[in-house]
Amino acid sequence: MSDAETPFSIAVPDDQLELLKQKLELTRFPDELEDAGRDYGAPLADIQRLTKYWKDVHLPKWREHEAKLNEELPQFTRDIEVDGFGTLNIHYVHQKSTVVDAVPLLFVHGWPGSFVEVRKILPLLVEASPDHPSFHVVAIGLPSYGFSQGPSKKGFKCEQYAEVSNKLMLSLGYNEYVTQGGDWGALITKRIAQLYGPKHSKAWHTNMPLAGPPQLTQSPLLFLSHHLFKYSPKERAGIDRTNWFEEKGSGYFKEQSTQPQTLGYSLADSPVGLLGWIYEKLVNWTDEYPWTEDEVLTWVSIYWFSRAGPAASIRIYYEILQGSLQGVSQNMATPIPLGHSYFPKEIAIHPRRWLKAANPTLIFESEHESGGHFAAYERPEALVGDLRKMFGRGGPAFGVVPGKTGF
Amino acid sequence: MSDTEAPFRISIPDDELESLKQKLALTRFPDELEDAGRDYGAPLADIQRLTNHWKDTYLSKWREHEAKLNEDFPQFTRDIEVDGFGTLNIHYVHKKSTVVDAVPLLFVHGWPGSFLEARKILPLLVEDSPEHPSFHVVVVSLPGYGFSEAPKKKGFGVPQYAEIGHKLMLALGYNEYVTQGGDWGSLITRKIAQVYGPKHSKAWHTNTPIGEAPHPTRRPWLLLSYLLFTLSPKEKAGLERTKWFQEKGIGYFKEQSTQPQTLGYSLADSPVGLLGWIYEKLVNWTDEYPWTDDEVLTWISIYWFSRAGPAASVRIYYEVSNQSPEGFARNIETPIPLGHSYFPKELAVLPRSWIKASNPTLVFESEHEGGGHFAAHERPEGLVSDLRKMFGKGGPAFGVVPGKTGYVWLLMLPLEVYVDRLSQVLRIDSSWDSC
Repeated sequence: MSDAETPFSIAVPDDQLELLKQKLELTRFPDELEDAGRDYGAPLADIQRLTKYWKDVHLPKWREHEAKLNEELPQFTRDIEVDGFGTLNIHYVHQKSTVVDAVPLLFVHGWPGSFVEVRKILPLLVEASPDHPSFHVVAIGLPSYGFSQGPSKKGFKCEQYAEVSNKLMLSLGYNEYVTQGGDWGALITKRIAQLYGPKHSKAWHTNMPLAGPPQLTQSPLLFLSHHLFKYSPKERAGIDRTNWFEEKGSGYFKEQSTQPQTLGYSLADSPVGLLGWIYEKLVNWTDEYPWTEDEVLTWVSIYWFSRAGPAASIRIYYEILQGSLQGVSQNMATPIPLGHSYFPKEIAIHPRRWLKAANPTLIFESEHESGGHFAAYERPEALVGDLRKMFGRGGPAFGVVPGKTGF
Repeated sequence: MSDTEAPFRISIPDDELESLKQKLALTRFPDELEDAGRDYGAPLADIQRLTNHWKDTYLSKWREHEAKLNEDFPQFTRDIEVDGFGTLNIHYVHKKSTVVDAVPLLFVHGWPGSFLEARKILPLLVEDSPEHPSFHVVVVSLPGYGFSEAPKKKGFGVPQYAEIGHKLMLALGYNEYVTQGGDWGSLITRKIAQVYGPKHSKAWHTNTPIGEAPHPTRRPWLLLSYLLFTLSPKEKAGLERTKWFQEKGIGYFKEQSTQPQTLGYSLADSPVGLLGWIYEKLVNWTDEYPWTDDEVLTWISIYWFSRAGPAASVRIYYEVSNQSPEGFARNIETPIPLGHSYFPKELAVLPRSWIKASNPTLVFESEHEGGGHFAAHERPEGLVSDLRKMFGKGGPAFGVVPGKTGYVWLLMLPLEVYVDRLSQVLRIDSSWDSC
């Protein structure tokens, strides 16, 4: 396997820009019920405003947005062999800190995220300072996302995403590393911890902490407390949020995990369809994050211009979860230290005692008063602050990577 | 209320045809995993073939398809007032039998169906014969479907759809009628039965029968019998089918009932997106029905060219789910006779005992060896034959509509009636006794 990193710059071909322009011009909008608000889905006024802006402003300036991304995010590609799936060409961001012994950190995104989610935390993580640890950062573009190739065969599951990620770190010379992940990144980094820890993965941190409700046979005391003792108002709010997600916010999940190809025709063919599908999450899953049009459209453009196409990105739901949310909170235990950041507008919020019971290696917790699902993007300072506390001097995971303390 | 009925012909404006043509020409397809089959959704090869046919052949011949639709369906529109929602202009098909006393029948479609579903059963239902009853047929386009207006306000649920169906029948002079419905049409005709029966709706028939599952407190005997006696192989297969639908086939339902507007952007903007979304159901929900490309594309075109746009059609899922959080299998009894047709590839295929326990007014049942969810389209003779048996002479619902038995001759009417009829037929002056 060649060691060389192939530098990569985003350079969307002109004909793709032209096609998008033509499609946007032909947009046919639906109507909307009076006073629908956000109850029925992404509001029409928002989508019309964004579509117009896309057509008239964002797309004509795409080369500027592209250049800025390329400037901020040093990108590369390399081939990675995945058992049973052949070679996949993987796109990733890689920035080393000037601190030689910085902690190697793998950042793993989810859906509808991408490598772009690392944009704000990257400079903070690599920053050198005597007061906090520094990190060498690798932000992988998961297969089928961004500019990474997607698998062509069925059955690419959590183990495969974990395998690609581990092999990427090893190929970059990071034999031992730590991880940070949310959404699919949480499940994938958990799997990395289980399969490659403690040998390679030394500690992991997630902003989407998971646990299932206590089972009588596994945690009888917890099960009893669940039924006997009340939850705090904050915990109740968290349970309500989780219920909202399951009852009102999981339609996308159900379709993506059972009929992704059917949905894929819309996402591949309609820019406004893709925009609506993703924008609804950018709003519902964040804590009133003040998205600018450019931010939203850059986010959606990564999907529209993605190497594998937007339809490929949702197959992960089918392959890993097959229609049921149950698999998300199962099999949680890992053999390495774990850190949690709690954000109140996350989409699944579980009582603290469930999380502690399900995650016996939990050694770091940090609670925030605001912020949602896309923590790295919404609350970059807070998330990085947590990582610095967890891995810094005096922190519970200080020095987990021998010789790479971050200072 | 003034009679606002106006004859209607489908006549899609040229600019809509042009826009569709341009969009099809710009189609961007996704890829597909090797050997995906139908497991991941509508297969790419099918969608590409259909899209090419749409673009290269079907669309350029649209006026022919349109003309044939107008020929097969005598269509009208009229204004109907719905309490709390103002006036909606409703599109419908109305075909009377030559049999004067034919049974007035309202046919109600569902999603992703439309008035189109009645295409094959219409001539069979109105056909006159001494061997079987005839029907005057009304096929309503539900608000938000076909060429009917859609409601503008939130909260338009099953009672409102039922109100539309009922008021339409009254407006057409059918004070008493029967109904046939599947999918949403089943829930709506059930509501019609509950609210407007037995005064107006006299009997109803559905091809999507449901019943409540055995429950320890609500249906204890059913639960006991379910636990004690094994299910037949057919019933087991039916439950497997039901399970498949609940686990693998319900994504569309979950999205449409929670975020219909979000989905609507795709359905409104992308013809191939709309095609994929609906075609998957046309295949998965039928019993290996051999769809021709033209059939599929006509079906999809009704949605693409619909008056309210395709996004409006999925709101019913949101409104009804919101109004019925306890689900659709509760409060299902009706005060009028009910008929069921059972098709093996329906989406919820429940053991007969469950269905009977929930539907005490069930008077007619008919089981079929083949057929699925779109019974009127897949098995028109089968469905019509069931209706003929249910409502025909000797059938359990014969004569439910007084004076409208479905036959030309009815025994035991006053002599004058026979004379009057005979004179009409023979075109003799009815006052023959003056001769």
